[in-house]
Amino acid sequence: MPVQPSFTTAPGRVVAVVLPASMLSDRDVQRQLASGLTTTFVLVARQREGNARGAARIEIRFDPWDEVWLVRRMGIDGREDKQRIATREALEKWWSAAVPVFSANSAHVALNVTLTVLPFSSAEGEDARRWIAADQGSPLVAALIGTTLDAKPIRSWRWQTEVDFK
Amino acid sequence: MTGGRSIALLLLAVIGATLFFWLVVHQVSALWLDVALRPEVGAALQQSMDDQKRLRALDAEHRDDYRARFENTQKLLHRLDVIRMNREGMLRRFEIILAGIFALAAAAVASSLAQRYRRAQALERRQYLDRVSVLQENARRHAHEMKGPLTAARMELERGEIESVHEELERLAKLSRQQASFAAIGKPVLRRDSLRAIVEEFCATFANAWPGVALRSGGGDATICADRDMLRQVLVNLCSNSAMAIDGEGSVTFTITRRALDVTDTGGGIPDSLRSSVFDPYVTTRRTGEGMGLGLSISRKIMLDHGGDLQLASTSTSGTTFRLTFGETECS
Repeated sequence: MPVQPSFTTAPGRVVAVVLPASMLSDRDVQRQLASGLTTTFVLVARQREGNARGAARIEIRFDPWDEVWLVRRMGIDGREDKQRIATREALEKWWSAAVPVFSANSAHVALNVTLTVLPFSSAEGEDARRWIAADQGSPLVAALIGTTLDAKPIRSWRWQTEVDFK
Repeated sequence: MTGGRSIALLLLAVIGATLFFWLVVHQVSALWLDVALRPEVGAALQQSMDDQKRLRALDAEHRDDYRARFENTQKLLHRLDVIRMNREGMLRRFEIILAGIFALAAAAVASSLAQRYRRAQALERRQYLDRVSVLQENARRHAHEMKGPLTAARMELERGEIESVHEELERLAKLSRQQASFAAIGKPVLRRDSLRAIVEEFCATFANAWPGVALRSGGGDATICADRDMLRQVLVNLCSNSAMAIDGEGSVTFTITRRALDVTDTGGGIPDSLRSSVFDPYVTTRRTGEGMGLGLSISRKIMLDHGGDLQLASTSTSGTTFRLTFGETECS
């Protein structure tokens, strides 16, 4: 069954996305969440007519020492929501909160929205690169091989929506 | 094989070698990466993390130590996860780098081989031209050497001077003998001998052979294996050249050092242009009719047959030294 988020409006002609909790149960997402690496969800909304775009970012990492979820959410409004969440239920609840993703300048916007799941954060990628560089004899070879360490998307979704502001 | 074809073949060889190398690298690099990424490694690290967690419950006092170890292990596990996720890209890049390095090295070797091949071809052509040039010079000298006595003999014959014709014929006969001596240099019969004794005998025998040239034995001695007659021929040739080079009074000194004999004259030296080819046949500074330029060539051949050599040790406007060296050849 296709995953379909709901889109809502927030004050200031802001479009927000409410992501369904079932996304966290997606096989690829589930496996990545269990890895201990920071699973990063990048939301990008593009206006179908025009160049306007907006973005939001959600990061989730399971800390196996304390057995808590370390989560962070940044929306188009610039606000950062950072938390430690103890249970899966609480995580799903937090996940299902509206994420401001687009700031409109008209009463009606038609958007293409993509959600891309990256398997690790840039800091974790950089750490692995440094580790390889320290391990390799030749800095040139280390640099050339190290630059192949990219967080390639493991999953992505694409939706379309139209929102009217009253 | 043409130059273009050989370069094309070398390029093909480089490409083939690079592909082969890439295949080998593909196998080997995948192997080491897969060893690092074996599931057992991850499982062991995960087990270690679980153990640290259990230990914190049993030993609360060292909780921070366990946590530090846990985080270090987790970091390592994360790095391996990041690498695992990029395994294909890393492998491809690694193989490209190694294959590139190999291709560069192979291209350098191929270029060097091609250059060497071209140089060898150029050398072969130059050597052929040199040989032809020597033959041309040989023919020219022969023609000149024979033309003089033949012309003179014909003129004397027209005048009825039979005695003079006989002299010119004798000159032609001498030329023929010189040629024959070059063509038929015999193998030396080596006998153990004192080099000093040979030199002193030579000096005594040929003391008055070249007017104005004093022969001096400079001392020293060495036991050598030599054919005394052939060695004498070498010394005669060298002294004849020295006598030609000495203007007025001069000397030729024989100095023995270890297994070598230096023959030094006080002549005017050998011109720069002739130094590299001084042992080549028919190379001479003498005028036509005064010699064929075979003396040094014959002499060097004799010394090489002795297992030694004859070399131009030094030359300047105040004199020239030729060095005769004797090998370790067994005496008969």
